[in-house]
Amino acid sequence: MVEFMKRALELASEALSAQEVPVGCVFTINDTIVAESRNSVNHTRNPTRHAEMNCIDSVLEHCKKNGIDHASYFRNVVVYVTVEPCIMCAAALNILNVNEVVYGCANDRFGGYTVLDVRKFYEPNYLLTGNLCADEAMALLKQFYKGANPNAPETKAKKKPS
Amino acid sequence: MSDTEPPEKKPKIICNLSNIYLDTIDQCIESISSSERNLQPIISDELTQPLEFINVFVGHIKNVKDISRTILILNDKIPLKELSHLKRVRRQDIILCPTKFLDNMSSIQDYIESHVTELRDVFDYFKEVNVPLLPPKVMKQYNEVRKIWSCNFHPNHYFEKLVSNHFFSVYDVKIHRKFMEVAFEIAKWYAIHDGVAFDINNILLTIVNVTVVVDPNFNRIVTIAYDYRHDHPMQHSAMLAIDNVAKTQNGGVWSTESNDGLLPGIDKELVHFLKQKFSQFIIGLKKTNWSGAKGGQKMDTDGEKGGPKSDSHEENKEKDGPYLCTGYYVYMLREPCVMCAMALVHARAKRVFFCFNNSVCGALNSVAKLQTISSLNHHFEVFTGFL
Ligand SMILES: [Zn+2]
Ligand SMILES: [Zn+2]
Repeated sequence: MVEFMKRALELASEALSAQEVPVGCVFTINDTIVAESRNSVNHTRNPTRHAEMNCIDSVLEHCKKNGIDHASYFRNVVVYVTVEPCIMCAAALNILNVNEVVYGCANDRFGGYTVLDVRKFYEPNYLLTGNLCADEAMALLKQFYKGANPNAPETKAKKKPS
Repeated sequence: MSDTEPPEKKPKIICNLSNIYLDTIDQCIESISSSERNLQPIISDELTQPLEFINVFVGHIKNVKDISRTILILNDKIPLKELSHLKRVRRQDIILCPTKFLDNMSSIQDYIESHVTELRDVFDYFKEVNVPLLPPKVMKQYNEVRKIWSCNFHPNHYFEKLVSNHFFSVYDVKIHRKFMEVAFEIAKWYAIHDGVAFDINNILLTIVNVTVVVDPNFNRIVTIAYDYRHDHPMQHSAMLAIDNVAKTQNGGVWSTESNDGLLPGIDKELVHFLKQKFSQFIIGLKKTNWSGAKGGQKMDTDGEKGGPKSDSHEENKEKDGPYLCTGYYVYMLREPCVMCAMALVHARAKRVFFCFNNSVCGALNSVAKLQTISSLNHHFEVFTGFL
């Protein structure tokens, strides 16, 4: 489902222009987008406002407004996110029991799969696939970390996803 | 009479449960405050578990005069990089190689005779010894290792403190226990005012969670949060607390009622209650409070480095204002779940204290120890042992 990842990448670029870590995320149900967001940590001064968490809140709000049971709603959600969800977001998506998570590039500092496979703590857990448009996702991250510290050597910037 | 009894039964059970619950909280508060026992750091297994061993061939040198020559030749022919924490020789015994190195292809005697011909007549016999695979990290492990083999060891003051039973001073233990009491009083306050949904199987786990964030430099309660997950599955108390801290820094996302901005989302009555009950602590943080009064003797906030910070250092810090939960201590009733624990890493909390393990999904002791994962960019210290 490349089109959803492309949309997530657009949101990630939007984050980059807002001087946030460029991660974008789209929630879908039956191939229709039901929520989309991006990282907003710096603006909110809240280090947990990752793209996934923002999408989760917007779904919860939607459910509350329309009297929908969010537990059953999340069960049908497929998540497209440009960077592998961190341990926190991976746990959140497991708590909510989403159906599937598709990510772009791996996250070797915080990844909820690469660093610690969070799925093993939850039963049932979601289906996980990576490497969809990974290069584009990584390119955005590199651009951010280059901009954040012009003195940072290239190798250092490479090592810092999300 | 008999027809009024049945409808009364249900509320009676709830009433009993809530009495048991409140009694349990009171007992907890009593034991937390009456005990002077030091708190227990939750640390990497590397520091606490017995060492792993590896089986090696050892040759016994006939003549002590041959020892230094033998070492030189062996270091050249069979270097042991991965066992460099071990001295090659112990008295007249010298490590040749791990037994798995020969893979049962030949005896160690044949191997030396054919591959290290210079040493063919040096040994009078060979044996196998189990030696530690990794260097000892703490004195206790070193003392075990020493019985078996000679080993390089440089004691790390901080590691020794972590495995000792006296990490905190008596004074600090009291304060940490007092802040944990605050968390329990908050749980009790909500139980009385809002009621609690009870889990009949484990009344203590009925407590969802409470988080108290403290600035240890001023004994200030920066914010508190009570679990709201029954209404919003992400609003575990730690997540709410982190958002509340963001609100003290002109951020935050969750709309919680504000009481003059001091403790967002927290009932004014509760704030009043805490102020009365814990008058030794400053409650709430406003921007204007940054250079506020200091509450008595300060806790040792630097761990092993110790000593109070110089005033000029503090002034600098205040000018910049606080950043996320940097430097803050977090007190929780229960070990945070994977999501909350990682959120506290993102928030850069300095220390996390909790009372009960969360065996299902606690990520600081039970199912994982995030504080020991080296690839994470921030590591806080974790303490338990209040009860
Ligand atoms: Zn995340
Ligand atoms: Zn949690």
